[in-house]
Amino acid sequence: MSLLKKCVQQLLENTNLCSQTIAATAAAFHTSPVCNRVQAGRYRVTTKRNRALTYEMANPPHYIAHRKAWNSWNTSSMLDGLRPSQTAIEDVFMRKFMTGTWHALIVSEVIIKRQHNMIRIAAIMRQAISPRKMYFLIGYTEELLSYWLQCPVTLELQTVADKKDVVFKYI
Amino acid sequence: MASLTRLLERNLRNSSTAAGRRLYSQTQEEPAAGTKHEFDDEEFRVLNLRAAKQTDQQKRRVFKKEAALPPRHLKMATDQDWTAVWPGPRTFQPSSVPLPLRQGYTEKGAAPPSKFVNAELMKIPNFLHLTPPAIRQQCEALKKFCTPWPKGLESVEKWEKHFPIEVKSTDYCHALPTIRNPDARRVTLNIKLSDLKFDAHAKDKFLRLVGDRYNPNTGILTIVADRCPLRKQNYDYAMYLLTACYHESFVTEPWEQNKSEADMEYYSFERNKSKQTAEAIINWGIPTDAAKLEVSQDFAQTVELLINEGENEYNLGRYKEEVLKLLSVRNE
Repeated sequence: MSLLKKCVQQLLENTNLCSQTIAATAAAFHTSPVCNRVQAGRYRVTTKRNRALTYEMANPPHYIAHRKAWNSWNTSSMLDGLRPSQTAIEDVFMRKFMTGTWHALIVSEVIIKRQHNMIRIAAIMRQAISPRKMYFLIGYTEELLSYWLQCPVTLELQTVADKKDVVFKYI
Repeated sequence: MASLTRLLERNLRNSSTAAGRRLYSQTQEEPAAGTKHEFDDEEFRVLNLRAAKQTDQQKRRVFKKEAALPPRHLKMATDQDWTAVWPGPRTFQPSSVPLPLRQGYTEKGAAPPSKFVNAELMKIPNFLHLTPPAIRQQCEALKKFCTPWPKGLESVEKWEKHFPIEVKSTDYCHALPTIRNPDARRVTLNIKLSDLKFDAHAKDKFLRLVGDRYNPNTGILTIVADRCPLRKQNYDYAMYLLTACYHESFVTEPWEQNKSEADMEYYSFERNKSKQTAEAIINWGIPTDAAKLEVSQDFAQTVELLINEGENEYNLGRYKEEVLKLLSVRNE
């Protein structure tokens, strides 16, 4: 009987303690490790250490403006910039069009730089197709994009002989 | 029953199409070699593992890669005209730039990535098209469109004398297909109040009309116009405001006569009771037909200062001296 009494007393004490701690932490700032997880633009290390990364991929997004620069250069993203949403959508469209048109040829990010109404697209390509086809694709891309976006578009490409030339490190 | 008819129908259709093909394409269609082999051979086909070479198999066409040319800067002469190589703004091209550039962050001890296949160098804007010789060339080309500086406007004082009104507006450059910016419509008009000619009433009224647009510390009147959609309209409106305020300040309305002493912005000795009292004291005991004595200018100024500025040690001391002087009392 005395044992039961003791147990009950302890239980009561425990619950009392619990309620106290809840009251203390109710107003506190809630942080959870799952919410803090950041994954975008970061690559996991492989066991064989054979995942090839370019310089762009090797530096996660928080290094932008420290170790690497932006991929889109325009005045919309500045403070009080005009038509930021349209510019972002156009950039996404241009990137999609480039990766689709130059299929499996682009080995870097597509860099879009705007100056006045001029759009200059820069990228690094593989030398996997003949120069003749490459010239055709350049003209095709410029013509179609300038028709859709209603402003002059220039493609400024750099080519590499091998895909491995752009690899910065393996993780 | 229905399924049976369907089956029959299908068979019939198949036979009819086969017949049709036989009829029309007999002359054109030659059966392929492989299919012939399959049909003719009664035996099983032999899987020949040893046969590495199959002569009849068509060789896959090998894409012959053309050797890439060596970088252009190796072929360029040292006295090459750089403005011809890089005439306008352009993404960095490592094969044309004869500079041993490197960019990028690496671990300690390692060299930064070289200029070839370096996306970072392609991202940042470069000024290789704005070398000093290029700028000199462009200035030479623009020279024929320039006019000499107008005579008589050599110094800032002369500009301000001939052009007292200063108009400010801002143009914006975008990296966008649009050249419009809503902020470009704003027009700011500055003028020194000393450049406008006023009488006392007009100046008082003008300052009341413009309100806090006048800065008493600098003496500059600022009018900002941004309510119209175009810059030209805003400029016209600002000029209209200035003209209208200036001319309105010279108009004396009938109700302005009702301004009493309490409405005055500052204390004036001339129109106040203290002047009458002071004169009464001076002229006490003097016959009325004789010339009246006037209160001295110093006394008037001191009283104005005392009331306008407020009572402080200096003003009170001066007031005491002036009162003693006025009453011809010697201060012992």
